[in-house]
Amino acid sequence: MSVEEAPDRQGDSTAGAPDAQAMRLCGTLDVAIERLERARPFAKTRYQRPVLDVAARLLSVPGGFAALCTRAMRMDRAGLFAGSDWDTPEALLPQLSGGTLVSDDPIYRALEASSLARFLAVASGAGRHDNLHSEGARHFLTQVLALNLRDTFGTVDEAQRALGDRLTVKREILRHIAETVGLTDVLGVMVSEIWRLLEQRSVQVGVVKDMIAQIALALHERGAELGNTRLGAERLVSALFGPTAGSLDDPGIDAYLERIAHTDEVGLSREAMGFARAMHDTGLVSDYHAAFLRWALDYRDRPLVPEALGLGTTGLDSWRHYRRVIEDLIRAAVTPATPQAAYGLAMLLERGVLHNAPMVPALDRQLRLRLKGATRDRIALGFGEAAPPETHLLAGVLQILGQPLGVGQGANPTCQSARAIAMWALIDPDYLLHLIGQAAEFETVQMQFEGTEINSTDLPVGLAGFGPIDADPVSVLLVTHLDRIYAEMGRLCAGREGDPHRWINPQFHGWWVARGCAVAVDVATGKLKAYEDFLRRFFLTYHPEYNGGRPVSHPQPAGIAVTDANAQFVGWHAIAILRVAEDQTGRMRVYFYNPNNDSGQNWGDDVIVSTGGNGERYGEGSLEFEDFLSRIYLFHEDPLRVDDEVEVPAEALADVRRRAVASWAAERVPDADVAGSDA
Amino acid sequence: MTEKNPDKGHVALFGWSLNAIDAVDRFDRRYLVVAPPWAEEYCAQNDIPFMAWDFDRLNERSYELAQRLEERGVDVAIPIFEETVEWAGAVNAVLLKNPRLLGQSMLFRDKSLMKRRAQLGGIRVGVFEEAHDRGDVIRFLKRVNETLLKLDGDPNDPIHFKAFDKSGTAGHRVIRTPEDVDNIPDEEFPALLESHLDGWEFAVEAWIKDRKIQFLNISEYVTLGYSVFVPATPELEAHRERITKEIEKLIEAFDIEFGFIHPEYFLTSDNTLYFGEVAYRPPGFNALELIERAYGFNGYQGLVVAFDPKTTKEELDAFFPEAVTDAKGHAGCFGVYPRRRVVSRLEVPEETANHPYFEFHELSDPREQKVAKRSAFGTHWGLAYFFGDDPHKLRDLLKHQEELDFYV
Repeated sequence: MSVEEAPDRQGDSTAGAPDAQAMRLCGTLDVAIERLERARPFAKTRYQRPVLDVAARLLSVPGGFAALCTRAMRMDRAGLFAGSDWDTPEALLPQLSGGTLVSDDPIYRALEASSLARFLAVASGAGRHDNLHSEGARHFLTQVLALNLRDTFGTVDEAQRALGDRLTVKREILRHIAETVGLTDVLGVMVSEIWRLLEQRSVQVGVVKDMIAQIALALHERGAELGNTRLGAERLVSALFGPTAGSLDDPGIDAYLERIAHTDEVGLSREAMGFARAMHDTGLVSDYHAAFLRWALDYRDRPLVPEALGLGTTGLDSWRHYRRVIEDLIRAAVTPATPQAAYGLAMLLERGVLHNAPMVPALDRQLRLRLKGATRDRIALGFGEAAPPETHLLAGVLQILGQPLGVGQGANPTCQSARAIAMWALIDPDYLLHLIGQAAEFETVQMQFEGTEINSTDLPVGLAGFGPIDADPVSVLLVTHLDRIYAEMGRLCAGREGDPHRWINPQFHGWWVARGCAVAVDVATGKLKAYEDFLRRFFLTYHPEYNGGRPVSHPQPAGIAVTDANAQFVGWHAIAILRVAEDQTGRMRVYFYNPNNDSGQNWGDDVIVSTGGNGERYGEGSLEFEDFLSRIYLFHEDPLRVDDEVEVPAEALADVRRRAVASWAAERVPDADVAGSDA
Repeated sequence: MTEKNPDKGHVALFGWSLNAIDAVDRFDRRYLVVAPPWAEEYCAQNDIPFMAWDFDRLNERSYELAQRLEERGVDVAIPIFEETVEWAGAVNAVLLKNPRLLGQSMLFRDKSLMKRRAQLGGIRVGVFEEAHDRGDVIRFLKRVNETLLKLDGDPNDPIHFKAFDKSGTAGHRVIRTPEDVDNIPDEEFPALLESHLDGWEFAVEAWIKDRKIQFLNISEYVTLGYSVFVPATPELEAHRERITKEIEKLIEAFDIEFGFIHPEYFLTSDNTLYFGEVAYRPPGFNALELIERAYGFNGYQGLVVAFDPKTTKEELDAFFPEAVTDAKGHAGCFGVYPRRRVVSRLEVPEETANHPYFEFHELSDPREQKVAKRSAFGTHWGLAYFFGDDPHKLRDLLKHQEELDFYV
């Protein structure tokens, strides 16, 4: 064979101390590799599969990929790839790599991982291969990283969530590659990806901050090579690590506080405005900003707080009215462990929610709230011990009230609960605080379903088990309860004909959910049912040109059929319709909230959800009216209103139907309709 | 190809086995694969020395085959499959100028003759009879159970039905009722009928040279047709001395000068050893690989050493390890059969996948097969391999696999 291995084997240093299971699997892998090595070229096939079988198991234990990396060249030499496309690495396509890493067949996942491990060895100079030089290998890996950036750092969407452990393994592999190869070339792609995510103003920014920290390292190491991408990257890094003149050199919190103690008024004002500008620019709050705010509370000569929060007219008005509670909130919630609370607070003030009579006392109650028992442990488990659980929860409350549409479901199948929290935060913030208080103090949430009392502690755990810990603090607290209640309401609907969401949604969310409900699919058969009528009713309910110009006043829950980039059906998903309006070019768009962590998704067939540039507010996704409708399968409507005299053009309905049938409804056309579907 | 030693013998492998070819290609002997014509192109592509021969035909042309092999300089033929044992005997009779080898191979090929020969050699065998039709089977079943003083309505003790010339578990049926007899297809007659022996069943692999056992392995069956491991538990190995004596009796009874035998035995509860049958070829269930995993030597290369007339004493001593004490651990395998009627995919049970003794598997995808109703022992869908220090733990683990679903 034509492969050589350099003496210093790559990966050993990064592998750390692998646990016993990994060690044992490594031993078994070596046995399998030895058998493969011994075999003659014509007999390799039989011994390849056992190697891949063990490699697949090794990959799913911690440190597995690192261990595979140390054996990559040996496996290649032994003939692991003989007889397959992987035997010619120079001809492999980087765009296929990500998909193969999460293939159904563990053998293919192991094969791809082993191949990437080989590229990594060649790229880092640890191994040599006749048909692959170090630069080529590095270029290939860079492309793989850039194409799989979301899985390297990013958030998780439905299609990915269905993959479970496979995705975890893929992410570990990509991260390992990113650590070894570095991210310089990938940076340009990353920077624009981060900006795209930031525009959605997610409550959870851990991942983005992590990405920016990576970029900071890359800038530090290879800044000179970056060229044009450097500007965007630096803007991100400075927002987080040095947004003002006084913190530009990232001096450390103590040194910074020392510094501003001797800064004059003009300088302090400039600091405050610098922080505010960076925060509103990115949605990210620097640790210096948090420290400055707490310091500014005790600075009596001049109110620096509103300046540092970057408040506009509504926010300033709130500040003047409710200064005491705002100062209390800053003191309690904005800490080095919870800097993002500052942005939540600023946006909360800007929304004017404090003018809603119950809000100030409700927040005062929240300030005094002490978490009990298991609830306390869960918050600590999710967010660490750097600050008390009460601080995390209060910070979470401020963020959710300030950025209602920034709520995300994490990697959990709990879109309904996340959607409910977001909608309450948007229009019913005092009710949300009431639920939070109940859950925190009594570890239960009470609701009623058509007069029947429901108490979440009495119910079995739902879809999310004991609830997520990878979401925001309010979700960590509430979702486990909401999830159970939602499921119980489903049980109470057992035996009723049709889709239970018709009754659950208004009972679960509030009076403002319209009592009528249209469903595109017959629950019993799964086939489309009276679909043209469904489409027509959607036009009459939501399209301003057909509903007499009535705007959407309260968010309305709706169900979509999620499709992937190939327009293949993935699953049902809960969203909320926020408003329907023309964008700047006069096209009618639906603006909606998706509890998914990243709304910007490609649903195939040119239905690409936009999150910016088409009139979206922070956290909104939008689609043109017809595109959106083509993916809707359930919506609420007012049962009292009858709009028989309004005609929706048949061709508009036919077009939407065509797009639905070309994607999620492909298998759902009723047999009777197939012949006459053109009508 | 490994550098070949011209002073050593030139062997012919009778039958197509990629594992055997792979092992011998790595060994220092010159070799020739004798297999059906369909393998010719593959061998040409992979530089495998090859001679086309159709073993399905009757043996009448064996002299022609022997002559052609002699012209190619072949010293000895090694049978890889049951179907080629008689051919190898006939050819070796010519090549080694020893006519008795043909007669010997006929004994190995006919289970009834084999049993009688063993009996004549003073070896203990169970009750057996030949069956030419279903009537013979019913009669034997009835007679055996009458002997056991069973009354009408008592469940029958089973009998075993083995097609005369099939290897291993192929064509092996356990008969309990007349309905079982009806299910036997015509083509499986004539066959050997044996009474059932309750006891510990095991197999022996013995490499023989100069009428002496060079290496004797005891393979312990956990469940016949499912699982086996080597070396055996200390409880079974305690009988090694007696077993060795039994093998020596076989060498005498069958007049075995050299080669490899694979007999099966029963050790009954009254501590009596019963001979079951013997084959003059490598065993199924990849037992040679288990031996390689445990001892580190390649069984096929061992075959070459044992068959090659030019092998020296020193070479033999160096090649084979010390039984039991030289083993690095115990290696076993489990033959997987789907347990459900309808299966859609292969999924190794989690407890198996996470067990420290589990190594890897060679199970085929269900899309390649349909679940057929099992009549005879049938063919498993692949093997799962295990390796560990504790033979009892390994035995129980292999037994436990029978309760798990690998196909769901």
